[in-house]
Amino acid sequence: MEASVGTSKVAAASVWEVREGEIRRPGIIHVVMMALFAGVGIVVGTLGSLAVPVGFVSAFWPGQAVQAVGSVWFGYWGGIAGALFPLVSNLLSGSAPLPVSIAYLPANFAQSMAAGWAFRVFRADPRLRSGRDWLVWIGIGVIAANLFGSLWGSNVLVVFGLVTRAAWLKIWAGWFVGNTLPSLILGSLLLRFVSPLVVNMRAFCKRYWA
Amino acid sequence: MAVAVPAPRRMRKTLLGAVPMTSPFYALHPVTRLVGLLVLAAVPLFIYMPEANLAFLSLLLVLFVGGRVDLRGLRIYLPLVMTVAFFMFLVVLLSPDYASGYIPIHLGPFTTYYQSLRWTIASYVRIMAMLFATILYFSTNHEREILVALRTLRVPFAVSYIVGLSVRAAGMFMEDFRVIRQAEQARGLDSSSLRLRDRTRLYGMYLVPLFTIALRRAEEISNALAARGYSMSGKVLTGGVRHDFVRARYRLRAIDACLILLMVAGLAVVAYLQVRSGWFGLERSPLLMAWQRHLGGTG
Amino acid sequence: MGAAGRPAVAIAGLSWTYERRSEPALRDVDLTIDQGEFLGVVGPNESGKSTLLYVIQGLIPSNFNGIWRGRVELFGKDTSAMSGLERAAAAGLVFADPEAQFTAMTVEEELVFGLENLGLDHRQIELRLQRVSDLIDLEELYDRSPYDLSGGQKQRVAIACVLAMEPRVLLLDEPTSMIDPRGKKEIFEVLRRLKDTDHTVVVVEHNLEELAALADRVCLVEGGRVRPPLPAGEFFARVDELIEAGLQPPQVAQTFAELARAGLYDGPPPYRFEPAVSAAREVLSHG
Repeated sequence: MEASVGTSKVAAASVWEVREGEIRRPGIIHVVMMALFAGVGIVVGTLGSLAVPVGFVSAFWPGQAVQAVGSVWFGYWGGIAGALFPLVSNLLSGSAPLPVSIAYLPANFAQSMAAGWAFRVFRADPRLRSGRDWLVWIGIGVIAANLFGSLWGSNVLVVFGLVTRAAWLKIWAGWFVGNTLPSLILGSLLLRFVSPLVVNMRAFCKRYWA
Repeated sequence: MAVAVPAPRRMRKTLLGAVPMTSPFYALHPVTRLVGLLVLAAVPLFIYMPEANLAFLSLLLVLFVGGRVDLRGLRIYLPLVMTVAFFMFLVVLLSPDYASGYIPIHLGPFTTYYQSLRWTIASYVRIMAMLFATILYFSTNHEREILVALRTLRVPFAVSYIVGLSVRAAGMFMEDFRVIRQAEQARGLDSSSLRLRDRTRLYGMYLVPLFTIALRRAEEISNALAARGYSMSGKVLTGGVRHDFVRARYRLRAIDACLILLMVAGLAVVAYLQVRSGWFGLERSPLLMAWQRHLGGTG
Repeated sequence: MGAAGRPAVAIAGLSWTYERRSEPALRDVDLTIDQGEFLGVVGPNESGKSTLLYVIQGLIPSNFNGIWRGRVELFGKDTSAMSGLERAAAAGLVFADPEAQFTAMTVEEELVFGLENLGLDHRQIELRLQRVSDLIDLEELYDRSPYDLSGGQKQRVAIACVLAMEPRVLLLDEPTSMIDPRGKKEIFEVLRRLKDTDHTVVVVEHNLEELAALADRVCLVEGGRVRPPLPAGEFFARVDELIEAGLQPPQVAQTFAELARAGLYDGPPPYRFEPAVSAAREVLSHG
């Protein structure tokens, strides 16, 4: 176990490691990736909101999976895409009007960036090769991220008078479960099977912007 | 012998749906229509009275018809309308909010409360009003016009370009999804016969190739942009101002300015009336008050 | 060579290795392309043909990570000293997949995008659109989404988008590889029209039959090495060499090479249809 952890530490470090002399600069590829990721999120978020809607929340919102993996792979570019695409997907699905979606922005940004920060700070491998990588992903990228996001978002609904204070707990629970489950299932799938391709791409961000 | 002439196309496909070939709305500048969306989508936020939101929905219907939107195209939203209703009313039936003084309502084996049900009805009608306000916008605006509206509002070119690219990417993603599904069906997969669990797993597995395609496409698009001289700074070769050819086609006229002012003023009035005096609150709803009285509560 | 005397493209001692690859994609390339020339680039897959075009345009190394050695000049100017905009204005690149190049909602916006990058004003943009439309017949497609077009239409639009910027060098990377036969015909028709202009054109193509009718010179790229370009007649006369390299020389050249082997034909094998008909008449009259 120690050997595999040690190996994964080296492997994980090499994913994030910026070699001496290596030049990494934000470029058009990152801007394009942000736009494309936002587009993917719009589709996944809209269809997810339509699939199992419970009023203002969805019982299974796959958009959160897109938010989380975006920041792991593309740093702040993915985080920005993850924060912004719900503005459009909420409009298209009718799950939140524009002012409410704007109020959701801090939650969406946090939901998006939590995994990205955690993977870089703890040098976890985005390919989820060890138990430690899974711990970082599930503990921070999934649970903590969605805890914050659901608390913020459900309170926004109360502030805007879209749900009553009495209904808050149900809304929060639905939000938390509805985001955590798809993030866990779909996000893990994406990290496990797509990360090996992404880490070799120009757009992959070892730091936060490049 | 009479030759059958195909009916002229009424609607034109867009990435986000379909828009009418001709519409009175097209006489308005795209920014006017965008302000219309912002106002119409925000109005129901201040209206709790179901009657008022139903009247608002009727107004939207008039706008749909006046805008020459093919109402048959709205059928795709029926499942959403019904599903949202089903789940919202299921929740209020199985797990209604309760506070002291709530009036119970017995429906078979279930007990819910007037106040919870009232709130659910009002919320449902509000959601529908906001949803159809958004649908109206996307049913009468081509993606290009959305970008023109943003650029008219002096949103930086890079930002509006990214928005356009995102919308474009959404369309490409849907197309890729369709192709993957067709390929699987061509190999004999019938997803409708699968159990829910297997179907969920299937859709989950779709994500992997879809993301892979999207990532590869990003590399190609960035090469194409670079090859045509696009840079993040938005600089142009002559060093001068970037000329917006498409935006120059649209002119803001007096009618646009008047309508924008009118719409913003209308929203401000509604917001003021509700915030200051609760004009559109649930307590002012004649139907809900009558129902409450019928249930024996004071209204 | 044009009146200025400078070649359109001059590559000297160029080697390029992509990041994370051990073998160079291009090795010690020396190549000169004259102004107004139509150069065909052929070779097996993964031989470095596309990389060559990217290097000429300057996409490599600006958009790629790797190891670069050597020098590339466009009309006497070092591409590494040029900005992305200057390179785009000097050398236009059309990719194999037309869809990968489209980012706008309509064909007109797609055409206009590059022109706006050049900083042109409304009147100049209108003029350029008119000129490119005259060459490529696109006006009826202006309001359509580029994604709703047929393969041939898409590639015509992609070529038009680059042509509208009026680069002096036009680079086309397998422009017919991803479209249907009818679309291919449309594209080769466009290339025929381009040949009559003063553009310098470099085309990577697998369809040697059509390329033979267009190219002034042809060069073979194999294993990252670029062989010196030869006049088309001389290039396609080397039928056996081309077949060994995994290429399909024009049918007429193969036929006459067989006739030559059988002792029925003497002389360089024709590679185009009309000279082949004359040569066949000669063979038959002597037979």
